[in-house]
This record gives sequence, C-alpha cells and structure tokens, in this order.
Amino acid sequence: MKKPTLKDYAKIIRPQNFEEILILAEKLKGKSVKMVNSTAVGGGVAEMLHRVIPLFNDLGLNVTWEVIKGSGAFFNVTKAFHNALHGKNTTISKEMLKVYEQTNEENAKNMTFDEDIILIHDPQPAALISAKAKSNAKWAWRCHIDTSQPNQQVWDFLTQYIDKYDASIFSAPSFAKELPIPQYMIYPAIDPFAEKNRELSKQEVESVLSKFKIKTDKPIVTQVSRFDYLKDPIGVFETYQLVKKHYDCQFIYAGGTASDDPEGNQVLNELRDRAEGEKDFHILLLPPFSDFDINALQRASAIVLQKSLREGFGLTVTEALWKARPVIATAVGGIPLQVINNFTGILVHSVEGAAYQIRYLLNNPEVAKRLGEFGREHVREKFLLTRNIRNYLLLFLALAHPNENVIEI
Amino acid sequence: MITKRADNPFCFFTSSMLVEITGKKAHHLKEFVQILKTIDESSIFFHIHHAFREYSFASGEYSNDFARWVGEDLEEATLAERLAAINVADFTDIASLRAKLVEIIENHLMNAIEIRKAAPGREFYFLRSTGFVSPTPYEAWTLPEFAKDLNCVGMRSIYFHFFDARLRLGHHTNDFSNWIRDSLGEHEMADKIEKLDPYFMTMDQLKNKIISICLRGKKLGGYPAANRWKRIIKILLEKLK
Repeated sequence: MKKPTLKDYAKIIRPQNFEEILILAEKLKGKSVKMVNSTAVGGGVAEMLHRVIPLFNDLGLNVTWEVIKGSGAFFNVTKAFHNALHGKNTTISKEMLKVYEQTNEENAKNMTFDEDIILIHDPQPAALISAKAKSNAKWAWRCHIDTSQPNQQVWDFLTQYIDKYDASIFSAPSFAKELPIPQYMIYPAIDPFAEKNRELSKQEVESVLSKFKIKTDKPIVTQVSRFDYLKDPIGVFETYQLVKKHYDCQFIYAGGTASDDPEGNQVLNELRDRAEGEKDFHILLLPPFSDFDINALQRASAIVLQKSLREGFGLTVTEALWKARPVIATAVGGIPLQVINNFTGILVHSVEGAAYQIRYLLNNPEVAKRLGEFGREHVREKFLLTRNIRNYLLLFLALAHPNENVIEI
Repeated sequence: MITKRADNPFCFFTSSMLVEITGKKAHHLKEFVQILKTIDESSIFFHIHHAFREYSFASGEYSNDFARWVGEDLEEATLAERLAAINVADFTDIASLRAKLVEIIENHLMNAIEIRKAAPGREFYFLRSTGFVSPTPYEAWTLPEFAKDLNCVGMRSIYFHFFDARLRLGHHTNDFSNWIRDSLGEHEMADKIEKLDPYFMTMDQLKNKIISICLRGKKLGGYPAANRWKRIIKILLEKLK
C-alpha cells in the first residue's frame, strides 16, 4: 500500500487542524528527537511509533527510534512492574530491581543521546535518565500506562528516575501524580491510514471471516485484546454465556501476545479451557502484524466489546469507534474519555452490565448505528494521529520554554 | 464605506494549547471548593473556556467543566444548573469569576443535607494549559478582506482574538472590535460585535455573525474557503521542504 502523505491527512481532518500542524512544524524544522521504548512489535506504543515517526520526518524534524535490549529476566521484571503500576498485587524483590537497573545501565552505555530531545516511553527504559548528565538534550518521559492506583513500592522506585526528567506525559488526568516536574496530558491516537484502520471493501472483510471459518449468519460481538488478565478474557466469555441465553449470536476474542509479555500463553490456555466446546465463541491467536485481519474483524462486528479490568488508554476502542462500530466498554483507564455514555458508546461496570447492553443494542440496531456515527466524529476530532502529532510538536516547543505559561512562537 | 483601508492591518494570530495536569484532585464538593480558592488562575480559565475552543460536533449539556462534574459525577442537578448559568461574559478577570464560583458552591454547601463523593476514577482533576501564540499568514486592511480571512482562520484564532482577548485586555472587548474601532473608525460596528454573546453559540455561528456584521448583511464573495485552504496549505508545505 502507498505510504500516506501529509496531504492525505489533510483530506480527513479539519483544515484548521492541519494548518496548525504545519505552522508548529515550521518552528521545529531540523530539531532532532530520539524515541526510546522496549519493543519493536506488539502493543499500542510500538504501533504508534511505527506510524508517527515517518510523519514527523516529513514535517522537517529529524526523529529516530531505538529499542532497548533486555534478557527474559528483564522483561519478567518489567511485566511485574507493568502489573504493579496497574494496581495488581505483586512482590518486587531487590534482585528484580537490580536486574532492571543493570539492564538500563548496559543500554545507556551502548546508546548515544546527542539529539535535542529524548522521549522515553514507559517504565522499561525510564532509568536511562542516568545518561542525562552527559547529554545536552531535554528529556521527557511518556507514560502510556494507567497509573491511577499503582503499587506504591514500584511507583516510589520509579519516581526516583521520573523526577529527573524535564517533563512527563500522561494519557489521562487520573493517571498523573503530584510530581516536581510538569505533567502534560496527551491522548494516544490512531492512524486512519494504517492497515488496521483503513477502509476495507466488503470482499476484503469476507475474505478474513472465511479464513477464520466464521459464518455471517449470526451477529458478531468482538473484543480485540492481548491475552492478558487485565483485558478480562474470562469476563468476555462469561458475558457471551449470558447473552447467548437470550440472543443467538457469536463472539470473537482476537489478539496476540507481545514480546515483552511472558504471561500471554497462560491466559490463552485458560480461556481455551473455559470455552471448550462452545462453537460460537471464537478464540483467534493472531501473529504480530495481523492488522488487516483485526480491521476486518472489527468492521464485521455488530458490536465491539472492551471488557478490560484496567486499561491504559484503550486504543482498540478508538479503532472501533473510528470504524463507526457501536462500542460497549468498561469505564476504566482512558475509555470514558472516548466513550461518552449513551452518546459515543455505552459504558458498563460488570459482566452482567455488558451482557445486558449487548442484548439492548442487538435488539435496537438504529440506536447502535447512531452511537457508531457519533463515535467516529469524536475520534476524528480528538484521537487521530494528527492530533497526537500536534500535541507532541507543542511538547517539543514547551520543553524549550520551561516555566512559561504563554509561549510566543 | 466598508471598503475603507485601515491605518494598520489586522494580523490574525492563532493559539495552541498543551494541557497540563496539576496533580490536584477533589473527591467531593468541600475538597473541590478548598482547591478552587487557591488553584492557579490558569486552571480556572482552562476549565471554563476549553470547551469553546475545541471543535464539537454536538453541543454539550454544560458549558464548563465544573458544572459537568457536579451534574454528571456528583449528580447535584441544582448546583450544576447554577454553575452552568454563570455568565462568563460578565467577568473581565479570573479573580472575580473565582469569587463567584466559590460563593455559589459555599451557599449550596450551607444547605446541603449530604456531601456526595464521586466514584473512584471520577474525581475532579484540576488541569491548566500552556498556551502557544503564533502568527498566521492572514492579514487584512479592509473589512471585506477581514471577513474573507475570518472565514478561513481556524477556530483557535477566533478563540484567541475573542475569548483570550477579554482577559488579556481586561475589559469587555475583543481584538476584532478594537481594530474596527481604532483603525477603521467604525464605532457602531465594533459595539455590535462586542455585544455578541459567544457563550451560547458555536464558534462557526460566532464567526458567521461577525462576518455578517462586517459586511452589513452582504454575502461573502471571492475565493471559496476550500480553495483558499488549498492555497495556504500548499504554501506551508513548500516552506517545510
């Protein structure tokens, strides 16, 4: 597929928003930025970086991306951090902290930080800040995780590093804490031209359903998520059981596992055990880069479900809204920012609530259609990649003007 | 004569905003009013105004964040109505707006039977913003030019010259009226624009009303806005190459 250009985005977003991006980019022409995270594939952050970096470069900035290297032991530690920051009861030993620190130190030794701005994503590489002393760059830490109720031990451990950054960025106000550095809010976003979101023909959608042997004789309810307890796959199955008693439908739970998530197989096997024998509950283990399949599955769905127990921002919700699908989702993390109850979707709090609302929408397709249309417009204005780019450009400008409330550019 | 040339051009600026999280949050009204008394003025300005500067495809029930939180998350309908009904146009500084908000909430608390607590995750999070002001390529010397440019500039530009200006200039006016009065001598027209109530219309409606006043009801001629956009975007893209 032809790589989308800036002009392509101009056709989708409001012209005023596009003009603003061009004005801001001109002020930052030639600035160098390094993005650092912990995985090149899987998960929303890697996806976002794949899409956003070429566009920054087209806008005249010089943006590069590096992935830190780590052993299985390191990623077990960072997975434990991830769960702990989401509030899961996790014990972190001194040895685990040592593995984390050593891995970051080794990475810092092998990397250079000669750019104007260093943007570190998530906790895995947060300790790279120790290299700040030998760099002239402005450093910002981008947290993509829901840290509204973090495990205090892990949060306190991480803040010793976070406090040294010039700024931090969170995805929602409830994720932030009182920190001695500025905390900016940038919503994550989706790319309308990505394989996962582009318009598909009817034939393309049907080809994917056929590949997975899914018939279209019953309405489809889909949740696209990694195999992760925090996405509540068992809750999705229980929702299916409740709905199925009243309405003949089929559910799809489709997802993959990320390279920094060693727990995925365990979750997948548990879900397979629970759903054994249920022909209308389809579990699809998708390999990385299954974006086309995910796009088709979402578009084929009568309803998209997101029954997460904890959520960062919930980009799969954004994707479904952009496809004008009616979304039923739990009110966790960044989901209520996207799903305005009964306006751009429906918010629920339990398996019972999810099942009830699915039955309601299956029986009231005109309500479902209106929710879907409003959801798409909400995403067009607030959660497309271009909005993200605009906010990052503003962040880069803000880093050069610390302690200023109004910046003349 | 609406074709009169001004002594000085009107230069359109635009403003951008990066939202900052203060880290302060309120679980209930008592906590809320205590924070409201001391929080940065920029935070109050943000929560009152940001809904106006954001394009919305459908108007919301509440015009400001305070009323929305009280109405939706605390389910205090009476207080929400009172907060939503505050006429922001009456205030030319944040200090008096803050005093009014505090007065309304404290009066409510005096008669409150219970203090409701927001559900976890639905607390009120105080935000503020860092503003970025930059010039745009638009510059007008006459009223028809001004109307054409106004039709093209983004809503953030209108927000900057109309809403921001009130507090920047400290009195009941805006940059458009100022220019029309001082550089074109059109006092009556400037007054008419000043009297518009921007809090009960969308930015598009506000823009159209100002254009209509400037052209004295005549239709906007010249380039269709879409063609002008194409031209401006082409110029900006070439500058980036």
